[in-house]
Amino acid sequence: MSTQTPAEMRIDPPKRSFWRNLSVIWLVPVLAVVISLAIAWQTFAARGVLVQITFQNAAGVTPGETTIRFRDVVIGAVEDVSFSPDLTQVIVTASVDRDVADTLPEDARFWVVQPEVSARGISGLSTVLSGVYIEASFRPEPGASARSFTGSLSGPLVREGQQGTRITMRTREANRVSEGAPILFRGIEVGHIEAPRLILSGESVVFDAFIEAPHDRRLTTATRFWDTSGFSVSFGASGLSLNVGNLAALVTGGIAFDTVFSGGEPLNPGYVFDLFPDEASARQSLFRSVGANAVEMSIEFEGSVNGLEVGAAVQYRGLRVGEVRAIGAVLAEDTDSPQVRLLTTVALDPQAIGLPVDAGAERLLDFLEDAVAQGLRARLATSSLFSAALVIELAEPSADEVAPAEMRRRENGMAVLPSIPSDLPDFTATAEGVLERINSLPVEELMNQAIRLMASVEMVVSSEGTREAPNAALALIEDIRGLVGGEDAQALPGELRSGLAELRGVVSELRLREAMDRLLAVLDSVDTVTANTATASADFPALVEDLRALVDRASGVEVEELAAAATRVLNSADSLIGSDGMRDLPPALSGALTEVQQVLSTLREGDAVENVNRTLASARSAAESVAQAMESLPALSQRLDRLVGQADALIASYGARSNFNAEAMQVMREFRDTARAVTQLARAIERNPNSLLIGR
Amino acid sequence: MSGTQGQTALTARQAGLVGCQSCGRVHAMGTSHCIRCGSALHSRMPGSLQKVWAWLFAGMVVYIPANIYPMLLTSSLGRTTESTIIGGVIDLIDYGSFGVALIVFVASVLIPVGKFLAIGYLALVVRPGSRITKGSGLHGRQHLFEVVEFIGRWSMIDVFVVAILSALVQLDFAATINPGIAAVSFSLSVAFTMLAAQSFDPRLIWDAEEAQAA
Repeated sequence: MSTQTPAEMRIDPPKRSFWRNLSVIWLVPVLAVVISLAIAWQTFAARGVLVQITFQNAAGVTPGETTIRFRDVVIGAVEDVSFSPDLTQVIVTASVDRDVADTLPEDARFWVVQPEVSARGISGLSTVLSGVYIEASFRPEPGASARSFTGSLSGPLVREGQQGTRITMRTREANRVSEGAPILFRGIEVGHIEAPRLILSGESVVFDAFIEAPHDRRLTTATRFWDTSGFSVSFGASGLSLNVGNLAALVTGGIAFDTVFSGGEPLNPGYVFDLFPDEASARQSLFRSVGANAVEMSIEFEGSVNGLEVGAAVQYRGLRVGEVRAIGAVLAEDTDSPQVRLLTTVALDPQAIGLPVDAGAERLLDFLEDAVAQGLRARLATSSLFSAALVIELAEPSADEVAPAEMRRRENGMAVLPSIPSDLPDFTATAEGVLERINSLPVEELMNQAIRLMASVEMVVSSEGTREAPNAALALIEDIRGLVGGEDAQALPGELRSGLAELRGVVSELRLREAMDRLLAVLDSVDTVTANTATASADFPALVEDLRALVDRASGVEVEELAAAATRVLNSADSLIGSDGMRDLPPALSGALTEVQQVLSTLREGDAVENVNRTLASARSAAESVAQAMESLPALSQRLDRLVGQADALIASYGARSNFNAEAMQVMREFRDTARAVTQLARAIERNPNSLLIGR
Repeated sequence: MSGTQGQTALTARQAGLVGCQSCGRVHAMGTSHCIRCGSALHSRMPGSLQKVWAWLFAGMVVYIPANIYPMLLTSSLGRTTESTIIGGVIDLIDYGSFGVALIVFVASVLIPVGKFLAIGYLALVVRPGSRITKGSGLHGRQHLFEVVEFIGRWSMIDVFVVAILSALVQLDFAATINPGIAAVSFSLSVAFTMLAAQSFDPRLIWDAEEAQAA
């Protein structure tokens, strides 16, 4: 057993390295740090980009609560609501997801979605409890980085990305359409309109509308829009008709459209539709109405513009090129005495006349100046046959028909188009006048007078005195036989014959000159009347023909001839009686009478009495068929007067008591009566030539 | 306090003994496993301080998001309210619930922060070669450790509230309460600090006395 033991070995434990010494637990804090950093980074990355949206008012936007949504997906939240420096606007600061914010274009729209009850329904109901949110609408543009936007309190009607066509419409008044009003196609809502706005000049209202795809394919230049707002009541041959649009259209107004004729062309950018007040006018409007680029000018009319209304068409070669904008009166100062002229303001559409689309006012005025130099004038015309409404027509009479004129400028610079008096065929006035004149013709009076004349003539012819006239004449002739037995008297027949011929010439001349003239004048006027009254009865020409025949027959009346012949005879007799041979009358009377008898027999051979009878018969027939011949009666009556006067003188020279004298006096009285009646008739006709037409 | 306890006591290590931490049986130094319960025997837990620091650090890290992020997501009629710990306390004060606010504040802010400080302090002072020997004394350090270990579980009160509310209030649209990230972070933080406290070997406290004596 040895106590000696080896020295105790000193064994150092192996030096544990720092890493081996490290506890595994250290992984936990490392992990915690990593996770925390990750969370922090995630939060930082998702923190979003601050954008500023300017609103008129905050409208329920609450910081921290109000979200910003795009296509109903939350893309951000409002972080702050503050005022602009001048307190006029509210600036909503919102953080938007970074990836979304990097595509926000400048024209992105933001609006506050809040519950809304309108005629088109209820929207935004979910926001009643949850509060409003801000909806964004934009077309993402990668790389865009707008950070400041202007928000609205109501959303746009068309979301970005919605397929369709945006069009512009034009109307005069927007009081029947409001924002959001539906656009209907055969009753189906295919679009809606946006807020109407006045154009710069304030003359019309334009608004944008949106037609959803695929209905926008129907839009062509032949498409017409009309207002279907409210309801319409029409009363026509088919009875009472009440048209009510759909409820939304009733409240907010509505617009319907249709393609009214085929052959429309695709829309050009910037094409502007017109909104028509109703379907009928839309369908009738093949011509464009006056556009916004219309040029206003004035036209002065001298006569009445009764029947011309604001909105009436201005036509050029039948095309509607403009419309009347205003009608007023102006005092013309260029003349010495103040004169009121009627000033009409019209708007002309350069495009409608055929000028290029971009032609301005100057171009149109140049064109009109040239046209005016070549005779273009404005005048009033009736719009249709049965309408009293007037339109303004840009007429082009040949230059030599109108006085030269040129465009003037009024004080306010408005061009004045020269005008000419209208040749309005005042149809109604003409027709009424004709009827009135026909009505006022003294037909009955004429007939009465004719009858009286006939009676007188008949009395004359049938009276014993007349019948005895030849005998008396025989006696007379016997008496003056001696007188005419002379060579002078022998030559009497020849003289008579020549005198008769002469008379005939004179009478025919007179007849031609007076009677025929007047008759023809009457006929002319009748012709004119007939021409004017195109709608007069078909019998009218026949009547005229009758009248003409009547006149022709009346022309053949030989009363005058007879009277003239008698006058001639009496004249000759007068001169005969006045001659020296008168003293030798009694002895020569018997011889003379035989001579006269010869003369009378000659006359009888000439059928004088028969002529008279025939003449009277024809006169009677003439009078019976409305005595047109009476136009020449004044001359006849004068001549009869003269004859009677001469006969009076002749008979007076015979002494008051001879039988012949008395009889002749009686005849002459009859003749005078006749003449008076004829005179009356003639005066009546003279007073009213047209009385021939209807006898009154 | 150590002074009041009389002179320094003989430690088990000085006596060449090691006690089982599970069943308490005393063995001779060098015995690797308890002959009774079989658990490993360590005179001092190896790497104890290191683990304390690691857990403590992890707990402090996750305590940051627990305060920044919302603890509670309250949706009522579509409106979502997020409330953080401090925000909730301020809201409670605004509503006048000072008592509740105090409880929440103490449980969610004071206790965790106090634990961080306490564990950190203990870990610092028991470090070998530490010169910090003044202060509360070894007995105070022991008390502090016991308090920390005891109170650690109670700081979960906020998490409990959140968990219960989230489970109960699920009324869909009318009202819904969901835990936020902070709830997870906070509970992790509490758990980490508890682990830190557990990792701390209180026997290290008394080693300082030994070192003083040496």
